[in-house]
Amino acid sequence: MTPRTLSAVHGQAVWRSADELWDSAQFREHLEREFPAGMSELVMRERQDLAKDAALLKNDPTLATGKSFENRREFLKLMGGSMALAGIAAAVPGCRRPDQKIYTYSKVVPEEVVPGKPLYYVTAMPRFDGGCEGLLVETHEGRPTKLEGNPLHPMNQGKSTIWSLASIMELYDPDRAKFPTFNNPQRGKVMASWDDFRAWGSEHFKAYDAKQGEGLAFLVEKSSSPTRAAMRDRILKKWPKATWTAVSSSEASAESAGTLAAFGTSMRSVTNFAKAHTKTIVSFDRDFLQYHATELASARQFAATRLVVETSDEMSRLYVFESSLTATGAAADHRMRLAPSRVTAALVLLAKELAPRVGGSAGAIKAAVDAVQVPSGDDIDQLLINECATELLAAGQGQSAILVGSSQPAAAHALAAVLNAALGNIGKSVRYVAMDAEEAGPSTARLGVLSEQIKSGGVSTLVCIGTNPVYDAPGDLDFAGLLAKVPTTITWHVGASETAEASTWSLNGTSFLEAWGDAKSIDGTLSPIQPMIAPLYEPALSEIEFLALLSGKEMSAKVDGYELVREVWRGNAKEWFGAITDFEPKWRRALHDGLVTSVAPTTPPALAKDLKDVVAGLGALTLGAAPSSGSLEVAFTLGNVGDGRFANVGWLQELPAFGTRVVWDNPVLLSPKTAVELGVAPLGFKYQGASDLANPFETNKLNAMYTEGTYPTARVAELTLNGKTVKAPVWILPGMADNTAVLMLGYGRTNAGLVGDGVGVNFSPMRKSSTSTLADAGLKLSATGETTMVVSTQNHWTMDGKDSVLRAVDLPAWKKYGSQTQEIVDSFYGTKWNINFAERLGELSHTPPNISIYDNPYNRSPMDADPTKKKANDPRLPSNVRDPSQAAVIANREQGAAFSSRPQWGMTIDQTLCTGCGACTIACQAENNIAVVGKKETAKGREMAWIRVDRYFTGDDLNNPGACMHQPVACVHCENAPCEVVCPVNATIHGPEGLNYMTYNRCIGTRYCANNCPYKVRRYNWFDYGVTKFNGGYYFKDAVEAVAPDRGGITGSGEHNKINPNLIPPRLRDKLDEISKMQKNPDVTVRSRGVMEKCTYCVQRINAAKIECKLAGLKDKDGHYVVPEGFFQVACQQACPSNAIVFGDILDEQSKVTATRRHARSYALLGYLNTRPRTSHMVRVMNPNPRILQARDPERFARLEEPFHHGAHHGGHEGESHEHMPGSEDGTHEPAESSGEPKAHTFFDTRKQREDRGYAMSLRVLSIPQGGQA
Amino acid sequence: VSVLFPKWTNVLPTVFAMGALGGAVAAIGGFWYYATPKFWRVGYMPTQPGGGFNHQLHAGKLGMDCRYCHTKVEKSYEANIPNVATCYGCHGAGKLKKMDQSVIDYSPTHVAKTEFIREAFAQDASIPWRRVHKVPDYVHNFPHHVHLNAGMSCYSCHGRIDTMPVVFHAEPMSMSWCLDCHRAPEKSVVPKEKVTNLAWVQDELTKRKETGTVGVDAQRVLETLQKAPPANCGACHY
Repeated sequence: MTPRTLSAVHGQAVWRSADELWDSAQFREHLEREFPAGMSELVMRERQDLAKDAALLKNDPTLATGKSFENRREFLKLMGGSMALAGIAAAVPGCRRPDQKIYTYSKVVPEEVVPGKPLYYVTAMPRFDGGCEGLLVETHEGRPTKLEGNPLHPMNQGKSTIWSLASIMELYDPDRAKFPTFNNPQRGKVMASWDDFRAWGSEHFKAYDAKQGEGLAFLVEKSSSPTRAAMRDRILKKWPKATWTAVSSSEASAESAGTLAAFGTSMRSVTNFAKAHTKTIVSFDRDFLQYHATELASARQFAATRLVVETSDEMSRLYVFESSLTATGAAADHRMRLAPSRVTAALVLLAKELAPRVGGSAGAIKAAVDAVQVPSGDDIDQLLINECATELLAAGQGQSAILVGSSQPAAAHALAAVLNAALGNIGKSVRYVAMDAEEAGPSTARLGVLSEQIKSGGVSTLVCIGTNPVYDAPGDLDFAGLLAKVPTTITWHVGASETAEASTWSLNGTSFLEAWGDAKSIDGTLSPIQPMIAPLYEPALSEIEFLALLSGKEMSAKVDGYELVREVWRGNAKEWFGAITDFEPKWRRALHDGLVTSVAPTTPPALAKDLKDVVAGLGALTLGAAPSSGSLEVAFTLGNVGDGRFANVGWLQELPAFGTRVVWDNPVLLSPKTAVELGVAPLGFKYQGASDLANPFETNKLNAMYTEGTYPTARVAELTLNGKTVKAPVWILPGMADNTAVLMLGYGRTNAGLVGDGVGVNFSPMRKSSTSTLADAGLKLSATGETTMVVSTQNHWTMDGKDSVLRAVDLPAWKKYGSQTQEIVDSFYGTKWNINFAERLGELSHTPPNISIYDNPYNRSPMDADPTKKKANDPRLPSNVRDPSQAAVIANREQGAAFSSRPQWGMTIDQTLCTGCGACTIACQAENNIAVVGKKETAKGREMAWIRVDRYFTGDDLNNPGACMHQPVACVHCENAPCEVVCPVNATIHGPEGLNYMTYNRCIGTRYCANNCPYKVRRYNWFDYGVTKFNGGYYFKDAVEAVAPDRGGITGSGEHNKINPNLIPPRLRDKLDEISKMQKNPDVTVRSRGVMEKCTYCVQRINAAKIECKLAGLKDKDGHYVVPEGFFQVACQQACPSNAIVFGDILDEQSKVTATRRHARSYALLGYLNTRPRTSHMVRVMNPNPRILQARDPERFARLEEPFHHGAHHGGHEGESHEHMPGSEDGTHEPAESSGEPKAHTFFDTRKQREDRGYAMSLRVLSIPQGGQA
Repeated sequence: VSVLFPKWTNVLPTVFAMGALGGAVAAIGGFWYYATPKFWRVGYMPTQPGGGFNHQLHAGKLGMDCRYCHTKVEKSYEANIPNVATCYGCHGAGKLKKMDQSVIDYSPTHVAKTEFIREAFAQDASIPWRRVHKVPDYVHNFPHHVHLNAGMSCYSCHGRIDTMPVVFHAEPMSMSWCLDCHRAPEKSVVPKEKVTNLAWVQDELTKRKETGTVGVDAQRVLETLQKAPPANCGACHY
């Protein structure tokens, strides 16, 4: 446990899991391994695991038999079976040259298409939580492959979210609806056609014409589309008595109600941070950085307020009061974990502090705020509230923002609006944007009204368009039962849907990439949606076309989305384009840009006159005490699969969830303390009671959640809320509010497709239709005694040297030391060099720099002499090279190092800006054809994502960690790459531009490179993940599954395969279907089994850019061909919403990456290994309130201005020599004189010391002078 | 013992050893020769739909430039196969009447040979041409545009297409074959304006080979190259 004192994050412990925090022996072993234990073995392990898990569960080690099933007989049996199957397969296809056909265009040739070159079109993706994202779509000969943000769109500005990136898989979803289905009362479900529907519909809907649509109900999604609104008007004109219910499945309508009280109109609060005018941000359960309609704009603005370049730069300060742990909470400078109702209490307490002092409109509510009773409790820290109030007032008018999230009641939203108005924030740091009537209405209440109507028999035909109420409606409505009561139900849907399954008619719709449409973003920007490809499953109608069909005179009429959209746009031309004439050029401009720019700006809204509704709301607000473990509070959250519509997208299922890093699941999240109290902590989590938690080190009950069993195993609990009971696994999340359960929506789909079916648990039935928030109280949770596997990637790919891989300081330390360098003189080696602020935080300040005794032509660091100046008799060169007879070698050297010619690629990742959202991971997956492997494969550590986002906690308290930080790590392209020297076939070698190439066709799969990679960024294709179907079938499947034991969910859901299809020989497996193949990037190889892969720095984009620049004749002033800065972006950089990733030519003096790489916050990950990574990470700077630190975290307060772990007696003034002797057991370090004499150095351990002595000796043997510049 | 193994068996080990050696040599030699692209790919001549496009006639006799049909070869990675509309431009009903009767055969049987073009055009269907030249999937985007603009002639990779009635695979297109040129481009680069003049290029390159010299033009072109052609893995494999 002593290494913790060396941590480069406030000197506090840095850990990713309970196991790592306590640093058990098992964990050390786990760390040393390339992959988690057991992942290299085949199947038999599983039986052993079952026994082991049973032993863990009963706390009886004797139950684990310890007998290995991986014996030779089992192995031979398996192999024999495989060989037999392979033999059959080998006989089928021959060994022939593939006969490829080239199909050209025929009569009609599109003018712009150049075969072999992608085209880019703009469009927009409507978001289910409101607004839209403007996108730029890469299409290859008419086939969209990758979605990127539209650089012109004010929300995206070229960036994209995980949802917009992954929505291309909605288009290529192999399980989506392909044709209409009719549930014939006599014959059951039959495949039908749109013609059948049209014929049936013209009869059916005719009956409603006479009744003016009575009995007809439409249940649609809330939409920002003006054309959809026009279609609604048409429907309601034709059938005035029809019911139109627009809902949003995951909405909390409290904001709409609260702003209605405050402003008299329903509003949506939108962040508008800027470095110039945002100093203090206070969030009450509002995760504005992720899973939020304006997440892209908020993340970008927030990053801008946090960026520190100069030591004089100021940062905004973020206070977060939240119940779960969100991206916003992780980004906070001060965070308080509170149950949802207590978050409201904290807001009221803040209002009590603010109201008397702020004046203005707050005066009107002062009495009402004072009247609200807030039960006291230990959970709320009054100091934080007071400091918040002080800072909000001190920030000045319009310099702060108070944001309230979806778990909060209307009164809280109203209160925040009044406070924002009083602080002058409205229109500056916060904007309030009016909602239209359809958007403003409460979804669950609307559903309730519809349910009543159905119950009373008032609905004879229900048309669901894009909605899936059977899956996601609140449980008290029992929508599945209601649907059965409606005589005729028609469901239009794109992906597979539970509602469609239960409907009379299921109609296949088009995705937004296949049809015309339009959308409006939250900030009011209008975007046309243009199709990228004809509907894959024709015929199909888009939502607006379907509505137009229903509202038209004849059901047989042709409907054309293009004409519908144009008609609406033409009708609004005066408002949107400023003129009615000249429609055509302006429309074409809008199609080209993807937006209409001349949308009228909105003026900041004014508060309602007397605020009596706000006062009334506050009067009705009753706040309870903090919840107890017998009656938990609940926060419903959204995760990577959104409200369930992305459940069939493997990329998102396999993207680690925020905080827990859990994949393929949505366990109930509890704080460790609550989980222990309720007896539902994961297996291997060895705390019996609260006393253990208080003194974990003394009781010595080491945690082994991840290391004791082969797979992490959760206990299954029974949850009862609002009369509904479900069983779900429970997982712990450090930093969550105690006695609060987080239930993630969007999982537990039963009819989503091969990927999403049966993944996780559906918590929607536990919601009730009467609440307007995504929170509830009164949850009963009890252990069932069952267990289940929960897969969390947080301990995968653990790097050794955790004490300095992550580095963070507080703003005062940066201000004090940011511009200083420290000269390191090492007496042992006689070397001198300067290290920057960031490197001073790590090992380099107390270990000597590494100088290779080999003359590495790739060395381009400050430690290296200029290679162009090396002379033949240079004493630093190894003797064999100094030999004049080696003239050729020397001549080669004289020409300069391999890395002296431009371009040389490099990347920086700014940890201050990174929010951990995962957009880089998904963008990389989309760009580089990275496979999805499934739940159990991930459990074995076989996930393929090239960029992993490591999540670290700090501090000693598992239940309440100090901070949560993120570090994206992909291949860092070492100049001295350890992987390259061990590859026996030269499959991974270095390129002349500094890229560490991975040549797949050379790779023979020894995995030596992955073993030797200290960053653990290499991914191995253990099976044919990339070319066979996920959860697919295989020949003889029935026969095999008849004899195979049920292994319950090996790839993803397990609903579709009883045994792991990966274990079937590749030839027998179902190949990837053609539709899924269409997404693949044609410029990147789809890797097959037995091949290593890793980040390539998007070499395909680099090569394409180089070719384009060369053909265009772009040259620099010296006449060299160059790729200009910004000519292209790598996929992760392009997606990153907070601009944390910078990529470019590090030899370009003007490039941004040169500036960031040289920046004082920039450090090399594991730099002391002399790997010389091309990717550098930048120190996270936080901006805590010193007064709070002083009272609550004196340890960190002491380091506020002295971040270096060797304490205050090393001032670190410029030019001062330092000699460090870390490692003395009591932690004291004596400054030593720099004398050039070898001293008794102790580094990290004695072994290293020995090696270093030998190294120094070798330098002397090679007559490399000591004390000189190396 | 002598009963079991008569004396003549003493030579057996030698015979077996020699046999094994010979077999090994034959196997390795056979593999060396037969399992290479040089054997498998050179000469590949698939039958094309409709009797195929006669390059000898069009590019040779009629003197059509390669880029008349492969329109995007200077602009894109791919040397695109012409659209049916391009074929139809000449072979549409009654379109060839104006041309020189001495070159073009207007006999009804000959005209019938191009009927498949008009049929495809009428149906707006494409003609399923069979691919002759193909690099493996792990070789990415052979950039025709870069090579052409750097002065690499069609001839260097495809041979004398203008003499082929039916196109066949003229060069092995193996990796070592690629690298031969990438390591010594001066042997193959020609002035950019000559890249589609296959006969001239053949003459020039043969001359260079025979005399062991490098043409003045090649020097000029080399100077305009950005740098030596890449010979690293990442240039093609990713």
